[in-house]
Amino acid sequence: MNIVVFIKQVPDVPNIRIDEQRMTIIREGVESIINPLDCVALQAALELREREGGRITVLSMGPPQSEEALREALAAGADKAILLTDSAFAGADTLATSHVLARAVSKLRPFPDLLLCGMQTIDSDTGHVGPQIAEELDLPQVCGVNEIHVDGDLLVLKRLSEGFLDTIRAPLPALLTVSKELCPVSDLSLGAVEAAFTQKDIIRWAAHDLGLHPDEVGLAGSATHVRKLRQPAARTGGRIVTGSPQSIVDALIRKLESMSILDEED
Amino acid sequence: MHLEPSMKQAVIRRTVRKFAEKRLAPAAIEMDRTGRFPWDIAKEMAGLQYFGLEIPAQYGGAGLDTISYAIVIEEISRVNAAMGLCVAVHNGVSASPVYVFGTEKQRELFLVPMAAGKKIGTFCLTEPNAGSDASSLETNAIREGNEYILNGNKVFVTNGGISGINLIFAGIQTGEKGKKFSVCIVESEREGLEKGPTEELMGMRGNPVCPIALHDCRIPLENLLGGEGEGLKIALTTLNGGRIGIAAQALGIAQGSFDVSIKYAKERNQFGRSISEFGAIKDFLADIATRIEAARLLIYRASDMKDKGLNHVRESAMAKVYASEVAVAAARMGVQIHGGYGYTKAYPIERFYRDAKVCEIYEGTSEVQRMVIAKSLLNE
Ligand SMILES: Cc1cc2nc3c(=O)[nH]c(=O)nc-3n(C[C@H](O)[C@H](O)[C@H](O)COP(=O)(O)OP(=O)(O)OC[C@H]3O[C@@H](n4cnc5c(N)ncnc54)[C@H](O)[C@@H]3O)c2cc1C
Ligand SMILES: Cc1cc2nc3c(=O)[nH]c(=O)nc-3n(C[C@H](O)[C@H](O)[C@H](O)COP(=O)(O)OP(=O)(O)OC[C@H]3O[C@@H](n4cnc5c(N)ncnc54)[C@H](O)[C@@H]3O)c2cc1C
Repeated sequence: MNIVVFIKQVPDVPNIRIDEQRMTIIREGVESIINPLDCVALQAALELREREGGRITVLSMGPPQSEEALREALAAGADKAILLTDSAFAGADTLATSHVLARAVSKLRPFPDLLLCGMQTIDSDTGHVGPQIAEELDLPQVCGVNEIHVDGDLLVLKRLSEGFLDTIRAPLPALLTVSKELCPVSDLSLGAVEAAFTQKDIIRWAAHDLGLHPDEVGLAGSATHVRKLRQPAARTGGRIVTGSPQSIVDALIRKLESMSILDEED
Repeated sequence: MHLEPSMKQAVIRRTVRKFAEKRLAPAAIEMDRTGRFPWDIAKEMAGLQYFGLEIPAQYGGAGLDTISYAIVIEEISRVNAAMGLCVAVHNGVSASPVYVFGTEKQRELFLVPMAAGKKIGTFCLTEPNAGSDASSLETNAIREGNEYILNGNKVFVTNGGISGINLIFAGIQTGEKGKKFSVCIVESEREGLEKGPTEELMGMRGNPVCPIALHDCRIPLENLLGGEGEGLKIALTTLNGGRIGIAAQALGIAQGSFDVSIKYAKERNQFGRSISEFGAIKDFLADIATRIEAARLLIYRASDMKDKGLNHVRESAMAKVYASEVAVAAARMGVQIHGGYGYTKAYPIERFYRDAKVCEIYEGTSEVQRMVIAKSLLNE
């Protein structure tokens, strides 16, 4: 089973900070990591390869320094890494990102059996990219899976949705996005990290390698445009009201009235 | 001049930090309290090649460069100095000389299980009457047929309680008075090798440091590392590299002390404000951070010189003496920032303080390092 895992490099911060003037994420002084759910997807791929055989290709679209994320994926055990990098890709929205990723997949020979994405990223968090790749490649998609079984040419998948546990059968090839419950991620061995940097290669594809016109990619190929960006106001801790139930209710009602949320007549 | 870590070194640091915070940080308190070595965690580390850091892949090691090696030791020591000590001594002064000075057969026999973490290594130089002055070593070896017979007492053996392979520095008797200072590889199960009780240490309590006695302990001639009389060369070469490991360990303790202290400073309020707003606390933080950065650069420079095959005696000694004094200072200021709570076991800073001190003592005291540095300056 040949598997593609999509890897996005993201800033490693609990709260990203943004440059409101330039409308971008501030990356200076912030370490970059593989989007955590993409590590889960890669781990799942490693386990499937163990059982089913085949090869794992990791794909990432990003600036040249995304090489680090791909090398880490090679250290974890991926067979092949492709970096989609071109200054024309800059400023891509989720649609333009998916377009480039889908095109790269369609160049792979043989065409992969399974495509795995994280369910969402920790920086932009849209969850669009996986489904959009599937749409563009006209593949079945299942999002947020937390169990994967292969049964002949069928996938048997589980996912949690709104309190239900869905069991879904899907044909191959298919695209799945994974949730963190799928599997725990193994630690990297230090020798594997060393080898990933000294003995492995990264394949680089630019727009022209993918037969993409500059108008279809990056900012130019984006359907959405950022008009304005601002940091949400920091949450100030709430006030804790204490006392007897009656006095608490009274205090809350007075507060709501003072904020004109409740009418005094009511 | 590159003063930034490479992409690989950044990934190494992140990889180790993640593992250390998940597995080693929670174990540190228990190790300190009970003195018990966590074999389960060590086995996991063995699988991730922490016991063959600089050993080439053909012997099962990770094949890291020295800066990466220093980063690994720093990150482990940042949360668990006793485990940092175990890894630094095993790799830096035990597996490394077996690789550098060992024959192909010795590498197969001893290095492969060491790199796999199946046998933990020691470096046994110190004796009751030979500390800073290693030349007054009393352990001796007499050749008899195909064997050496060893007698003597080694003390303060780091990893002693858990070791499988021990490098014993001994004088091989030649004629009436002559002695050839040499290194013998002695497996722990050899008859005549006896481990004493674990020392009750002030810090580094998770590492079973103990004496090792040798009574008519017989080893085959093939267990001699390097030639007869090569002990001094092996000791000096090994300690030059080893000091980088101890310096990195000290750096980790300093960084760990700093990290918990700045966090505490931000959280603790007095006089209606965070104590981090007081000038005195800011001075502590600025001072520690500056010294940590200086120590780190000294260590990377010594490491880089080692990798380039340059003489790094002075640079290793500078890194070791400076980093260990920074560790002690950082832990001391850290306790001060924590106030009374810093003097309790409720916070890890008191352990850092106890752990830090020995960095100024082992693998050559600070006084000895200064002698080494001064000698290299004056001889130029
Ligand atoms: C400041 C700012 C403003 C933005 N404004 C917009 C906007 O207006 N409209 C808009 O559509 N997007 C916007 N984006 C999102 C941006 O385009 C995304 O970074 C990118 O397109 C991926 O989307 P995501 O991170 O939400 O991925 P998700 O869809 O959440 O990612 C899911 C999975 O897809 C895969 N994946 C995602 N990106 C990549 C990649 N580059 N390479 C390989 N695999 C990948 C990974 O497996 C990932 O786990 C903005 C981003 C920033 C930083
Ligand atoms: C926890 C721990 C682990 C250890 N692990 C190991 C190990 O794995 N292997 C090993 O071989 N050893 C080990 N040691 C021993 C350590 O290396 C020695 O303790 C150290 O070298 C100092 O020797 P000493 O204790 O005999 O002190 P001494 O040499 O007696 O020194 C006492 C004091 O005199 C000073 N001094 C000595 N000579 C001079 C001089 N010429 N000029 C100025 N001052 C001088 C010293 O700096 C020190 O302050 C360990 C020690 C400890 C505490």
